[in-house]
Amino acid sequence: MSNAYAQMSRSRVFAAYLGDIRYELTKMVRTPAFAIPTIIFPAMFYLLFGILAGGGRGNAPFALQALARWSVFGAMAPGLFGFGVSLAFEREQGLLILKQALPMPPGSYLIGRMFNAMVFVCISTLLLLTIAVTMGHVPVTLGQAARILFVDALGVLPFCAIGLFVGSLISGQAAPAIINLIYLPMAFLSGLLFPLPIRILQQITPVWPSHHLGQLSLAAVGAPAVGTTANHVAALVGVTVLFFVLAMRRLGSRGISLLGPAPTGAVFPLRRALNMAMMGIAIGLIITGIVGGTAPVAAASTAATSKDATEGKTATAATDAAASPDAPVGVVAPDTTLIADFDSGSDQASYGIGWHAFDDKSRGGNSTTSQRVVADGAGHSKGALEVSGDVGTAIQYPFVGTSFLPNGKPTPDFSQQGFMNYSSRHTLRFFARGDGHNYTVAISGPVLGAIPAMYGFNAGADWQEVAVPLAELGNLDLERVKAISVGTMAPGPFRFQIDNVRIE
Amino acid sequence: MLHVMEDDMSQQPLARLAGAHKRFGAVKALDGLDLAVDRGEMLALLGPNGAGKSTAISLLLGLQRADSGSAFLFGEDPQSIDARRRIGVMMQEVNLSPVMHPHEMIAQVASYYPTPYTAAEVIKRLSLESIASRPYGKLSGGQKRQVQFGMAIAGRPELLFLDEPTVGLDVHAREALWRVLRDLVHEGCSIVLTTHYIEEAESLADRVAVLKHGRLVAGGSVDEIRAYVSRKNILCRTTLAREVITGWPEVQELREESGAMNIITRDAETVLRRLLAADANVSDIEVRRAGLAEAFAEITSANQADANQGGADAGKLQ
Repeated sequence: MSNAYAQMSRSRVFAAYLGDIRYELTKMVRTPAFAIPTIIFPAMFYLLFGILAGGGRGNAPFALQALARWSVFGAMAPGLFGFGVSLAFEREQGLLILKQALPMPPGSYLIGRMFNAMVFVCISTLLLLTIAVTMGHVPVTLGQAARILFVDALGVLPFCAIGLFVGSLISGQAAPAIINLIYLPMAFLSGLLFPLPIRILQQITPVWPSHHLGQLSLAAVGAPAVGTTANHVAALVGVTVLFFVLAMRRLGSRGISLLGPAPTGAVFPLRRALNMAMMGIAIGLIITGIVGGTAPVAAASTAATSKDATEGKTATAATDAAASPDAPVGVVAPDTTLIADFDSGSDQASYGIGWHAFDDKSRGGNSTTSQRVVADGAGHSKGALEVSGDVGTAIQYPFVGTSFLPNGKPTPDFSQQGFMNYSSRHTLRFFARGDGHNYTVAISGPVLGAIPAMYGFNAGADWQEVAVPLAELGNLDLERVKAISVGTMAPGPFRFQIDNVRIE
Repeated sequence: MLHVMEDDMSQQPLARLAGAHKRFGAVKALDGLDLAVDRGEMLALLGPNGAGKSTAISLLLGLQRADSGSAFLFGEDPQSIDARRRIGVMMQEVNLSPVMHPHEMIAQVASYYPTPYTAAEVIKRLSLESIASRPYGKLSGGQKRQVQFGMAIAGRPELLFLDEPTVGLDVHAREALWRVLRDLVHEGCSIVLTTHYIEEAESLADRVAVLKHGRLVAGGSVDEIRAYVSRKNILCRTTLAREVITGWPEVQELREESGAMNIITRDAETVLRRLLAADANVSDIEVRRAGLAEAFAEITSANQADANQGGADAGKLQ
């Protein structure tokens, strides 16, 4: 009998791939030990810590951030558990060897599992979105929902690769415990779930792939994020390739090749060289991602990149959706471009309610902050405003600093504050220096609870000018500016100074 | 041209090991093994634990590579997907997903093959209707083996590898499976069977290959293997004293079984003449050739020198 007997039409091969996907999906759905934790737990934790106890209820920006972060928590599980635990069991129980002996289409086992991991991530994220909209009243737009689904669905791949590698190493009995020992600490140490209390831990967050996916997810919903998309994608691609190659090598040494026949003869050294090259490239990508993983979204200099502008624009959706079209246009800004230079020794501004330190106690937080005017401002001017304090961890998303109300009223009720019309202005400039940490400029609009337009910068030891390109912060309604704030969300002590604040 | 190739191929063994060596650390699993599976035959692969049966099968399935020597499946590398589309496999040590149903499992495996049976056809052929929609994890050990067998034949294979297929099956299920195996061979399917049930090999196999220490120590039809052991059993009822019988030089061993004597000898004719001459009342005489089990025991319990000689004999038998 000839080989013609053994040849399959493309449609049959395609059907075999689809059959494997369907089979694996059915298997996962019928396995409560997998389906429940991967779908229910992230939703449950988001509801508990992101909305009910995390200060997110009625506080849309924080609930939206929580949504982005907990969705990443949900995206990690199907990859790690779906590959790690299942693979370890199936390898140990001889199923992979049986599949080796069958004419399984090359890679169909991996494709089926990756597809199913993506399906579970989408289900988990959709559940979180539902909770966010219905119970958290988070003003998430369809665009944001689509972006977060896209980011999370693709973001599961590095965790699939990690799971694959771990599953190739350990026994089925040990797999659930080992994977949990990777999953939960990684989520915690990346600062994904709760602010990290120890500075060294904050500084090494970029070594965790969950940090990079978390930042992409935050950017997807327009929340403030650190690092650039390119950095995060590089790190995640690097992790995926590295662990995938390591897993294939490990399984290959056990006589298991999930990608088709193992190479022999002259092909073997060629594939080995290719593997080494891929691992080298992957490590390079990971290092690139780690190095740039905590860089501020925007440079402290005046040269904001187009990427920064893009990230600024992504923050528009929530406010756009939630803004009232009937809100009155604010008072036209005075002719002066100076807001405050603090040279008089006071924290008062040229107009409006002067600068005020604010903390998060009204939201249940335990952060402290204070401000004072100090000597030796930028360019050796007489004074500058120094803001310092300690960001606590009592709530999930603290934000403390100093705030300027351009058309403010002497009432603590933020909703009663007036608007300023800055539509003729293009740039907010000021000088800043500080303890080397990243800080955020937040410009609030008319909608209480909407995400403000945000711009990140780094406050180094020397005075440096920060230029915020207002036109590029699409989230900003320049006709209805309620507050301009400078502050931080990073837990721990902080100190920064600002001077010569102008809006031009 | 294609017909010529087919004609040529039809003369070729479907699977072949040629001088295969395989070592796992200090353990020599295969030591220059030559083995061939011909079209339309059922080959039983026998041997004590550690004889190299599983390693030989692994090489033929492409799960491992020989250190030296070669392995072919349908004239190709055993890892060739085209070759694998012509075989079915049933392994012994495999646990399948407990949440899937037999009809789904059979259908999934069938989807890998060009011209498979439908799951319904397999289920009907193996009479698995009552368990086809039950979770695999809730089946008995024997039922699981039947499902695995169903998966193995789902692709309508030309060559079927079965590793201990009847372990855990009750008598009826075993006989039913044997019937299916015979039918498959009748339909042109070749089968490689590894089993510890010698009577299974005796009942089913066209040819037997006995491995020991990674080498072929005996091979041939079941009758040829039986003949390899020259001793016979003479069962009878006699009044002769035990000492008299054991005193005959041709008698190797004497056993008393349920009031009868079992005389084991390599020269049955001489012993029988002595018996009839010494005891006119001898009754219930029955002369038996050694069974496959005895032959297997004798072959595999022989010392290494014997085994080497057996290997040479095996070459003659083939």
